[in-house]
Amino acid sequence: MTEVLPEFRVVRPATAQEAAAAHRDNEGARYLAGGTDLIPNVRRGIGDPDLLIDLGGIADLKKIEVGANGARIGAGVTLAHLAKNAQIAAAYPAVITAAKSIAGPGHRAAGTVGGNVCLDTRCVFYNQSQWWRESNNFCLKYKGDTCHVAPKSTYCHAAYSGDLAPVLLVMGAQVEVTGPEGSRTIALPDLYGEDGQNYLALKRGEFVTAVLLPKDVLPTVYEKMRVRGAIDFPLAGVAVALRRDGDKIGDLKVAVTGTNSRPFIVEGIEELVGGPLSDEVLDKIGDLVQKQVSPMRTTLVAPFGRRRIAAALARRQASALFAG
Amino acid sequence: MTHKRVLSLTLNGKNRQDLVPDNMLLVEYLREVTGNTGTKQGCDGGECGACTVLIDGEPHLSCITLAATVEGRKIETIESLAVNGRMSALQRAFHEKLGTQCGYCTPGMIMASEALLRTEKKPSKDTIRTALGGNICRCTGYVKIIEAVETAAEEVAS
Amino acid sequence: MNVVARGHAAGTRQPLVDGVEKVTGRAKYSADLPFADAYAGAVYRSPYAHAEILELDVSAARALEGVIAVVTGDDVNHTYGILPIAMNEYCMAKGKVRYRGEPVAAVAAVDLRTAKKALSLIKMKVRELPQYQTAEAAQAPDAVLLHDDKPGNIEREVKHSFGDVAAGFADADLVREGTYHCGEVTHLHMEPHACLAEFDDERQELILKTCSQVPYYVHLMLERCMEMDSSKIRVIKPFVGGGFGARTETLNFEIIACLLARAAKGKVALHLNREETFLTHRGRQETIVNIKIGLTKEGKITAVDQMVKQLGGAYAGYGIVTILYSGSLLHGIYDIQASNYHGQRIYVNRPPCGAMRGHGGVNMRHAFESLLDEMAEELGLDPFAVRRANLLTAPTQTLNGLLVTSYGLDQCLDRVEEGSKWKERWGKLPKGKGLGMACSHYVSGAAKPVHWTGEPHATVNVKMDFDGGVTILTGAADIGQGSSTVVALAVAEVCKLDLGRIRVIANDSAVTPKDNGSYSSRVTYMVGNAAIDAGRALNDVLVAAAAAKLDAKPEDIEVENETYRVAGSQDPGLTFKEVCAQALVDTGCITVKGTFTVPTEFQGGKHRGAAVGSTMGFSYGAVVCEVDVDEDTGLVSVDKVWVAHDCGFAINPLSVEGQVEGAIWMGMGQALSEVTTFNAKNGLPMHANLLDYRVPTIVESPPIETYIVEANDPNGPFGAKEASEGALPAFMAAFTAAIYNATGLRINTLPVTPDKLVEALSKKQHRDKVEAAKRSNA
Repeated sequence: MTEVLPEFRVVRPATAQEAAAAHRDNEGARYLAGGTDLIPNVRRGIGDPDLLIDLGGIADLKKIEVGANGARIGAGVTLAHLAKNAQIAAAYPAVITAAKSIAGPGHRAAGTVGGNVCLDTRCVFYNQSQWWRESNNFCLKYKGDTCHVAPKSTYCHAAYSGDLAPVLLVMGAQVEVTGPEGSRTIALPDLYGEDGQNYLALKRGEFVTAVLLPKDVLPTVYEKMRVRGAIDFPLAGVAVALRRDGDKIGDLKVAVTGTNSRPFIVEGIEELVGGPLSDEVLDKIGDLVQKQVSPMRTTLVAPFGRRRIAAALARRQASALFAG
Repeated sequence: MTHKRVLSLTLNGKNRQDLVPDNMLLVEYLREVTGNTGTKQGCDGGECGACTVLIDGEPHLSCITLAATVEGRKIETIESLAVNGRMSALQRAFHEKLGTQCGYCTPGMIMASEALLRTEKKPSKDTIRTALGGNICRCTGYVKIIEAVETAAEEVAS
Repeated sequence: MNVVARGHAAGTRQPLVDGVEKVTGRAKYSADLPFADAYAGAVYRSPYAHAEILELDVSAARALEGVIAVVTGDDVNHTYGILPIAMNEYCMAKGKVRYRGEPVAAVAAVDLRTAKKALSLIKMKVRELPQYQTAEAAQAPDAVLLHDDKPGNIEREVKHSFGDVAAGFADADLVREGTYHCGEVTHLHMEPHACLAEFDDERQELILKTCSQVPYYVHLMLERCMEMDSSKIRVIKPFVGGGFGARTETLNFEIIACLLARAAKGKVALHLNREETFLTHRGRQETIVNIKIGLTKEGKITAVDQMVKQLGGAYAGYGIVTILYSGSLLHGIYDIQASNYHGQRIYVNRPPCGAMRGHGGVNMRHAFESLLDEMAEELGLDPFAVRRANLLTAPTQTLNGLLVTSYGLDQCLDRVEEGSKWKERWGKLPKGKGLGMACSHYVSGAAKPVHWTGEPHATVNVKMDFDGGVTILTGAADIGQGSSTVVALAVAEVCKLDLGRIRVIANDSAVTPKDNGSYSSRVTYMVGNAAIDAGRALNDVLVAAAAAKLDAKPEDIEVENETYRVAGSQDPGLTFKEVCAQALVDTGCITVKGTFTVPTEFQGGKHRGAAVGSTMGFSYGAVVCEVDVDEDTGLVSVDKVWVAHDCGFAINPLSVEGQVEGAIWMGMGQALSEVTTFNAKNGLPMHANLLDYRVPTIVESPPIETYIVEANDPNGPFGAKEASEGALPAFMAAFTAAIYNATGLRINTLPVTPDKLVEALSKKQHRDKVEAAKRSNA
């Protein structure tokens, strides 16, 4: 008995279309998936929904299909179930690595693929109680007009910290979304924007219904840095996908989470394809990562360290993948 | 006025129906409506694991779960484990091996362990660590918790 | 000495006497007590770090439908606190707020929703004042004073000098100085604060059920702040979910709940959330230690000069005691014949700090051991050797008047050296891995209680009645450390009773004898001795009854497995039930009493502040820590810890292990990841939740090999000393020494978070490169 939640209603539609319709009809509606991110925020007075649309009753969202054309992972699949899926483990092992690394077992049992892909951006000035934020005049992300990590900034710097996204990005995933105006498919990089407040390029009422993975993906690994071995969000998480052709790099992609307002594919890496994986090339990978990540003081771990750590993770994973 | 609903579920093996506000957390429902205060709150939402209960056999954090979303499901709390008034193997092992000191994290810790032992008969130390990763204990340093889970697993196996 | 052979009860591995309730979920903690019939309490907290209150308007809150009572600082006339000379805190601010989160007003309402709504209607007008988060800022010449009577924002300055320090340094072969910075940490007991206060307006009586380690002190503060006759107050401690020092003083919410209950003329449940529990704090203060040590080339300490600055938060709390401990605990572990101590407890605009596991002796010990490690290397000495060069021989008296009557540090060193295979492995591990070691000690109970009344230090009653049950009544607060189990074992041992016959009733001021509470590791030593005394009294009664029934002399009666017979006879003897029935003839229900008093010679020297640090028995600990450093990520994983703790006779070895493991691990949290910082610009608490305050999870928590060393104390219960604090400080210095061993880096700032280590490593790489370039040029 320590908090009072806002007075919302909960509905549990049976189909994605019904869910979208419920959203369209209610100004203050929010979609509720596993709730592991939304409910803690609501408990802290972030968001004041008058309707929560529980997506847990939509059977279609809970399917995993692996076929000739790739895989379709329903957005409502829990991280725990994803982590146990043998077909995904066989074809996309890095997805399992990432899923297993998220938070703790209780979060993974409830948290979903869609929820993790769309995970709200985080910041020490945002993920705080109502009393805390109010006494700090709120922040640009919610109810305020200043970004406390960059007071001169016109946009929010809260950091994205989903673990699945970097892996899905280097695998070339797409997402299926449904909204009041129907369904569409978007390439995963296009789902995200570099603004901590409006980090998802979804139209009002749209929600992710599935993640689509192509049939063939590069050998991929994911590693993240966090202070504790569980519960913590990543301070930097790096996915590397690399195919070796003889003594040359056949293909290479690197994606990062935890450092910016969006997960992103590191640019310029493609120029290294075709060459060897020398120390100079590893340094180049590190440099590219270090230049493109922009950790801010959104966490209590200093940006300098996170920048270097992201680079070091990319280097060592590329090196390990190349070595086989 | 808060919207309410009749919530039907199975709690510790018994079917129940209760009038529950939509905005009620599962932990509040368990503690304040059903009187099962064994489930604890240790943080302000999803950060410590003290509120862990089983929903359809999986460990969930009842402090970030809305009661309204567990309609029709099977909920198990610490109060369900004792068999005919005697402690379960896990409870006995936590007691005898001193896997509990102040006892506040214990119900959550035991429920997370219960979920583990239902799927892993002989978990390694690392498997135990992974399964209890979301449960913070401030007293034991976890050493005797691991020992307790191993002991219980052995007892169940024999 | 009350030494016994291991076997019957004392010295056996016993589960907690209240453990069944804990594992079954039946244990009721304060927030578990039924509150459906209670009003909901909520606290309005300052949104300013430092401000003068110009106007506090609670009229709208009071007028809200469903609000039963609103109380503010105007409703209380007395401060609360620890030492009578330093109670400068009101349970709700009066005139000024001094930290963000300080209680200002409180509401009782029909439900929590209404109470929270009422809080939002409270209006506070203030004149903001500059707020300070560093010693430099608070001590600047033009700094605004937090408390007008404390110039320089210094709560207490201590200067202690013993022996000829200048001569000591002159005699040294090596003199080195170091500065060590330890971040602020908090207890993080898993149970957030909660209490239930009930005021009977008809009788003008108050009952408070609260999560305290010191129900007696709470009782005293309620008497003072509520201005009530103490006989009208009843304080009950339900199950308590940990404390570690957080609850060794009366906390503001406890007084607030009682004020609300009286104003509401009824029952009020006040449950704080985790953030509010952080804000209530009383944890270990941020500390800056400057230390200088002189050593001979053999490693013998010739002199120590230590300057400690503690950022104590906005109010006095335990501060004076903490700053005195930091000086006095320089002694009692090694042979030191010259020491200077200069301590400053400084006011800053943060929640007040207080006592936390290892109170006052943790950060200074970390500094001392760290510098010792560094100097040992410079002298070419093994870290174990430099400690062994400075061991004490018990009994002895330290330079500052502390009595050391038992000493097992030498054995502790041997055990961890062997256990960790130090000689074979230190300095020989692969790259990135390292070993480090350090030592520490702690008191077994403060010899002088905070409130000196002339009463014994501990009193235990034991009741026996027609049912044959033996009930121990104690005011000692079991907060999870197992104190109820210790008193049960003590009585069972002395009376040779079956442990199952004994029940322990603890902490209801209407029922149990007063006890000073669970702090300074006093309970096993003092209450344990009182329990032995009570057990003897009961045993005398039982033996006399058996003798009467058997027509024998009491001294001829022997007791075994609850059977009483004449020694050497072949009689079947009497059962406990028969003896009990005989004992009750003519007297009825029997209550016996045991007490324990610390003799004055143990209560410290003559200098000002000498009582702090004085104790009847010091515990000792030695730790070896093995780490693995990931130089890419700066993550340090603790692979294994070996710890030896001298707790004297281990009354319950199972519990001793649990306490030692918990202590080591709590030290690991402070070393590795835990810290509470405050925004420098505005004093916002930056770690007031369990994501940003990183308590280690089970995943990164290492195996701990625990060795119990039993250097029995001549006055301890069965020879026992404390078990839960003494080894904690050693972990931190062992950990940083292990990092040095692995990386060549000495990190003098705690916690060693990955960002810090990565930055230090990158600087070192740069330095190494520059030096390599210089060498190649030369």
